[in-house]
Amino acid sequence: MPEVYIDGERYEFEGKPKLLQFILDQGLEVPYFCYHPSMSIPANCRQCMVKVGQPVRDRETGEFELDENGDRVIRWFPKLQTSCSIDVTDGMVVKTQESDELVRRAQKDNLEFILINHPLDCPICDQAGECPLQIQTYKYGPEGSRFEVKKVHKPKRVQLGPRVVLDAERCINCTRCTRFVDEVSKTHQLTITKRGDSNYPITAPGETFDDPYSLNTVDLCPVGALTSADFRFRARVWEMNQTPSIDITNGKGCNIDLWTRDNLVLRITPRHNPHVNDWWMPDKGREANRLFNENRISRPSVKIDGESQVKSSWNNAIETFVEHIESVKPEEILLIGSPHASVEENYLLTKLGNLMGWGTPHFTPHLNEGSGDGFLITDDQAPNTQGIRLLGLSENDNDQLAKRISDSGISCVIILNDALIDRNVLTEDLFDDTCLIYFGTNENKTSQSADLVFPITCVAEHAASYVNVDGRIQRSFPAKETKYSNRRLNLEMSEGRLDRYGTKFDNWVTEDNKVDCLPAWDLFALIGMRMGLDIEYEMGGREVMDEIGRKVPSFEGVSYEQMDDESGIALNIDSKKVKSKN
Amino acid sequence: MASEWKNFEPVLIPDIANLRNIDVYLDNGGYEALKAVLGSEWTPSSVIGEVKAANIRGRGGAGFNAGLKWSFMPEPDGKPRYLACNGDESEPGTFKDRKLFEFNPHLFIEGALIAAYAMQCTTIYLYIRGEYIDWIHMMDRALQQAYDKGFIGENILGSDFSVDFYTHSGAGAYICGEETSMLESLEGKRGYPRVKPPFPAQNGLWGRPTTINNIETLANVPLVINKGADWFTSIGARNHPGSILYGISGQVNRPGVYELPSGVPILDLIHEVAGGVRNGKKLKAVIPGGSSTPVLRGDKLEGVTMDSDSLREAGSMLGTAGLVVMDEDTDMVDVLWRIAHFYHHESCGQCTPCREGTGWLEKVLLKIKNGEGEIRDLDLLLDVTTQMEGRTICALADAAAWPVRHTINRFRDEFEARCKRSTFATA
Ligand SMILES: Cc1cc2nc3c(=O)[nH]c(=O)nc-3n(C[C@H](O)[C@H](O)[C@H](O)COP(=O)(O)O)c2cc1C
Ligand code: SF4
Ligand code: SF4
Ligand code: FES
Repeated sequence: MPEVYIDGERYEFEGKPKLLQFILDQGLEVPYFCYHPSMSIPANCRQCMVKVGQPVRDRETGEFELDENGDRVIRWFPKLQTSCSIDVTDGMVVKTQESDELVRRAQKDNLEFILINHPLDCPICDQAGECPLQIQTYKYGPEGSRFEVKKVHKPKRVQLGPRVVLDAERCINCTRCTRFVDEVSKTHQLTITKRGDSNYPITAPGETFDDPYSLNTVDLCPVGALTSADFRFRARVWEMNQTPSIDITNGKGCNIDLWTRDNLVLRITPRHNPHVNDWWMPDKGREANRLFNENRISRPSVKIDGESQVKSSWNNAIETFVEHIESVKPEEILLIGSPHASVEENYLLTKLGNLMGWGTPHFTPHLNEGSGDGFLITDDQAPNTQGIRLLGLSENDNDQLAKRISDSGISCVIILNDALIDRNVLTEDLFDDTCLIYFGTNENKTSQSADLVFPITCVAEHAASYVNVDGRIQRSFPAKETKYSNRRLNLEMSEGRLDRYGTKFDNWVTEDNKVDCLPAWDLFALIGMRMGLDIEYEMGGREVMDEIGRKVPSFEGVSYEQMDDESGIALNIDSKKVKSKN
Repeated sequence: MASEWKNFEPVLIPDIANLRNIDVYLDNGGYEALKAVLGSEWTPSSVIGEVKAANIRGRGGAGFNAGLKWSFMPEPDGKPRYLACNGDESEPGTFKDRKLFEFNPHLFIEGALIAAYAMQCTTIYLYIRGEYIDWIHMMDRALQQAYDKGFIGENILGSDFSVDFYTHSGAGAYICGEETSMLESLEGKRGYPRVKPPFPAQNGLWGRPTTINNIETLANVPLVINKGADWFTSIGARNHPGSILYGISGQVNRPGVYELPSGVPILDLIHEVAGGVRNGKKLKAVIPGGSSTPVLRGDKLEGVTMDSDSLREAGSMLGTAGLVVMDEDTDMVDVLWRIAHFYHHESCGQCTPCREGTGWLEKVLLKIKNGEGEIRDLDLLLDVTTQMEGRTICALADAAAWPVRHTINRFRDEFEARCKRSTFATA
């Protein structure tokens, strides 16, 4: 196997890796800015310099030449090399900043250069705390600056597009943003303008940076030059908790992180998953934080006199539920599951239906034909359409579902978190004489038309699984506390820096930011108990999934452990039955 | 080499009226080399072999053997291959390619066609700086004449060799003279030099094999074909044979472009060819090969000849053979600031050391020029040049660093004299 020596250690390699990537893969470090594993390699930041040599071989025999100590004679490249752009070759000898003074010097010199025209406004910069420039400077940079002349001034607070703001003075010209729009989103909306130290990225005159993936450039930007119009100045990164999750705004299931402070989701960023979204996500998915924070159904509601809804206690709501159920025959009850709800929630609805004799839940996919782009935006507007197909829920066209309610003697409809009236699948007048019970996360026309509303947890508040358009099952983690959960007691919840090290004054706890809602498993257990069923899940979604893994063939053996280990699991979806469209 | 140069008859820009007219060029043996090469006596590889043996060293500044460069092109595979002719001529002090465009365009065109034949290129691009708009028009006319006579186009002179030839105007960026940056510019992109490897012969214009040569380099090719490599290597300095278009500017009596063999003593060039320093002043300094080549002191020029070996020994380079002559009244601080200003203005801004370093150099030099510098600033400048050199994608950073380092080192007293006396002792 070919070998390479890095700082005196021998490593074996396969294929044709680039040196920087190889070094990073070994868990070693070389500072860098412009390199990104999923984009072309411009080698322009010049930060990743290392010293590289090749052993000298005898022309005739091909044997290594040895010096008097029996060590291989190394021919060093006359110049330092950018490790990001050079291929690892057999026998190569590499010295990084760990073992070579010249390399250390070069890296330090380069940081000095980067910083001379940088505004150094870290105290008011959003990137501070997660800034590669800040981090590398502390580790490898010079202690001060010898730059005593005037810095270059460039445009600041440039609204490049609806979602991205540029501070050109902070830009270090790594071209990650322009490469992203050229190579990944392919809108070509940004380019570098001017020359030399006047460089900065900008749109063509009169154009706006409305790329549907524009916010990825904010993540890519190694400094605070590109910031999110929505998130900027809202929080310091070290005040937030970071929780892995899944994008629920379309069918792709991009892997994401939810960034919370005081139980509000302040921003959403993509999480790397080579099987799904690589490093990227659509901008639309980032706006979902509003879904989690705003307009939430909190506390149950019951409709009085067929007129207005009033807030109710959980006990009263459950009693009301039982009254509604008992006033109709089981076959007059129609269950509607939801592609917007998790596998676990839909499973429990199905289970409740089976045990009570209400039949299999129905559902209508939520498609927006033609809106997909073949990349990360799908026609499917829901995160779990495949999941409920695999659970065996009964699929309906838009019209079919309304007909089913009006034509077949249905007196009570139970909807799991799907805004069917808002998306024009059902109409309000269908429920003039028919009872509607809604289990949901957010207020909408559908919830407002209901006779009884139960608030349930959203993806940001529970651990639950979703099967994306390609049949990959992935799960979320609880990021926000509800009225009934506690960050310190729930081991699945992330502990932020302030939770761990803060004083009591550091940690805001605004009670209003906690929603009065229950996970479906807890709520269905309460309802079940009231009706004499034993459907208790002490371990929440994890235990529900274990049961699904045992009982539903398509999910055989699926567990949270495996999903966590393998960043989700590809399920066997029958491509004939299931149209997996982008 | 002494004074043999005095008898030299120019071959690149001979003294023939109206040579730019294709009929006059034909009357003087024009396009004979192309005809010969397309005939049965030559093959592409024998052309490459001859040019390699002639050791025409690139006249664009780097001095690489042209034939050797051509031999790096991979075997033809039926898909497009390119020759890109570099007429960007933006290095301050350099104005020789313009002379060819104006006085002997067909010699260059013929050379480019032979090169294209040797490398089996399908298209030739002629990249000319936009400021040379009149010369672009001249070249367009010359190319049209050559098309009309059947020297360019389909099945040239009845052979099965076909090639197209286009001019392409630059838009005012020095960096587009750097060969890979020029390729980007030809592709319609921003002129950012490319990271090498891969080299253009493997991955050039639109990812296809491409060779880049300077105009003057190519103009030598028909001469080598007509008269042989041995004739060529017999001219001038052994290690850098042939004649050179010396562009002499600055404070001399007769500035201009002079064609003479390589290896002419630099003092002969200044005093005899260019008529000596103006107003009888003393010679203070000379930049031998365009602004990026280190300046030489006027009092250290005895015995220095215009070829790569001698100039290297003297501490400079042949570059583009564009000499800038400075008299005793020249303010070296001013000169250096102006050069630094140029490189600051022209850095493409892609890589950190060049983008930031060129500006830093200029700003500190301006401070010194304004009498506000301190001695420690000189050491800072030298440090900055070390931090820039050899750490960038293209050679512009080096080109910016060398003049600063060498001008300060060679005229340090002048720089120190301009500095404030610092009140603190500083390192
Ligand atoms: C910053 C920079 C500017 C350059 N400008 C020119 C130029 O204007 N004209 C030119 O012929 N070569 C220029 N060169 C050199 C070219 O990169 C290249 O070496 C040359 O065109 C090759 O042709 P030759 O081998 O025939 O000399 C420049 C190089 C650098 C680094
Ligand atoms: S804005 Fe950011 S990502 Fe874009 S070039 Fe500048 S530093 Fe790089
Ligand atoms: S050295 Fe200067 S001109 Fe050359 S690529 Fe780098 S920044 Fe551009
Ligand atoms: S990471 Fe290698 S040059 Fe930027």
